[in-house]
Amino acid sequence: MNFGYLLICKQNADVDYIKLAYALALSIKNTQKQGYDKIALVLEDRSLVETLNSSWVFDEIIEHPLPEGWDGRSYMDKFTPWDNTICLDSDMLFVRDYSQWVDYFIDNCELYVPNKAYTYRGEEITQDYYRKAFTANELPNLYSFYTFFKKDSGIAADFFELQRKIIENKNEFSNLFLTNRKPKVVGTDEAFALACKILDLEDKISYDLDFPRIVHLKPMVQNWPWPANKVSDHIGFYLNKKAELKIGNFQQYDVVHYVEKELITVELISMLEHIAWKK
Amino acid sequence: MTNGVLLYAHNSRDIDYAQLSLISGGLAKKNLEVPVSLITDESTVDWMKQSKIYNKAVDIFDKIILQDRPELTNYRNLRDLSAQHKVPFINQTRSSAFKLSPYEKTLLIDSDYFVLSNTLSEYWNINQSVIMPDAAKDINYKDRMKYLDRYISETGIKMYWATAVMFTKNQEAKTFFELADCVRENYETFANLFRYCPRQFRNDIAFSVAKHIMNGFEKPMEYTLPSLLTSLDRDSLDHVSDTKLNFLIEGDINGKYYPVSIKNCDIHIMNKKSITRNYENLVNLI
Repeated sequence: MNFGYLLICKQNADVDYIKLAYALALSIKNTQKQGYDKIALVLEDRSLVETLNSSWVFDEIIEHPLPEGWDGRSYMDKFTPWDNTICLDSDMLFVRDYSQWVDYFIDNCELYVPNKAYTYRGEEITQDYYRKAFTANELPNLYSFYTFFKKDSGIAADFFELQRKIIENKNEFSNLFLTNRKPKVVGTDEAFALACKILDLEDKISYDLDFPRIVHLKPMVQNWPWPANKVSDHIGFYLNKKAELKIGNFQQYDVVHYVEKELITVELISMLEHIAWKK
Repeated sequence: MTNGVLLYAHNSRDIDYAQLSLISGGLAKKNLEVPVSLITDESTVDWMKQSKIYNKAVDIFDKIILQDRPELTNYRNLRDLSAQHKVPFINQTRSSAFKLSPYEKTLLIDSDYFVLSNTLSEYWNINQSVIMPDAAKDINYKDRMKYLDRYISETGIKMYWATAVMFTKNQEAKTFFELADCVRENYETFANLFRYCPRQFRNDIAFSVAKHIMNGFEKPMEYTLPSLLTSLDRDSLDHVSDTKLNFLIEGDINGKYYPVSIKNCDIHIMNKKSITRNYENLVNLI
């Protein structure tokens, strides 16, 4: 079996995405079984990784220009060195072994994009605060933050080809297909959803499953009774020395998409490194 | 395994909990066909004798278990239709249910919870140490339950309702009740951790915190008792006809009430005064 995770990192002045990808890679190495813990990183400048204490967590480093305004994740199928890939957003953390999910996807899917996300309390997110255009245009509720695909899949090839066209021609597709409500930005999620709808693939690539379970920490969808700007204004984010993560009063067992980049501190990375070194 | 129902009744000057427990206990005994025991105190028993309901109590209850009368430390605002009173109430001894219950499997219920069906009989054989409802359902067509009826705090854990608790006499349930008691004793400290309002002790909150901790600080896949059908304290049990309970429900506009009837449904009636006003007819249902 040739399986691995893929992270695509574009540095910018505000966010150190390499640091986030490094934290995620450490958490994958710390929690996943052998054979399920390979990680490939796509970035512009390999030297950025060489400064990390444990750059070995990246099994493959792929240098590629990622120009401004160009969505690197649209090319996940082109970048991946693996036959079976899960492409992840960088601002995520793994907290336990999820290899059983990978086994299912490899055995049953050519391409799978989740259609659910969860709050830190383990509730399915039903609010569409950030997804009004999805509701208005009846787009399938796809989340690109955890995308499984097989390299040799015809379905995946058609799907990625079309979503690239959408990203490259946002206005045209938006004017044609998102007429009920235009999203502020046609991002990867919108492009995935629209490609899925145009190709009529929902039943094949995003059917109902109880996994993967991804905790999505966007503040306005946490089922709180008031509006919130930041999740961390209201609840704590506690990682202990065993890398067990508690958010508010809830122990986290699912993949956490923390959204707030500043949650990844030097101390947190140091704790993850210590576990990785002892493994 | 012996199954049975357990109730608490400690009278206050405002509410005749003895009367409530007779109705609640009698209905549970009739509809679940299991013995029912009462935990109470001497002064409440004296009042039962004085008000000539003691013989009925002996009839209904398998055991009447006496404990010291707990101190009055808790007050709450209780509505009866539009009237509102601040009344004392005793709710801090529920954790003793584990120790005092004479049954191997116990359904602990509040005295304002009326079992009018045999639905809960389906739960005796479930292999789970503590089972509670995790939701209350408004008797009104439009849900008047608030956010803090569903969660113990804005960012906190889900509310379990201590109005009905089924537990098995085993180590896990023992730990659960000890933990709930620990939360009660350190209510303000736990309020800092779990962000609930500590002004008034609530068993619902103490039990919810204990359950959450016992469940490993996560939302578990587990059995729950059915949602509690609830009429709020601003509603009123107006009259009882045959087997039907007829309520006046406060609608959207203050001062306007409309009728709602239920039959063969378990119900939590928060307006206790309206229960005692209908005592005679309710006792006839037993």
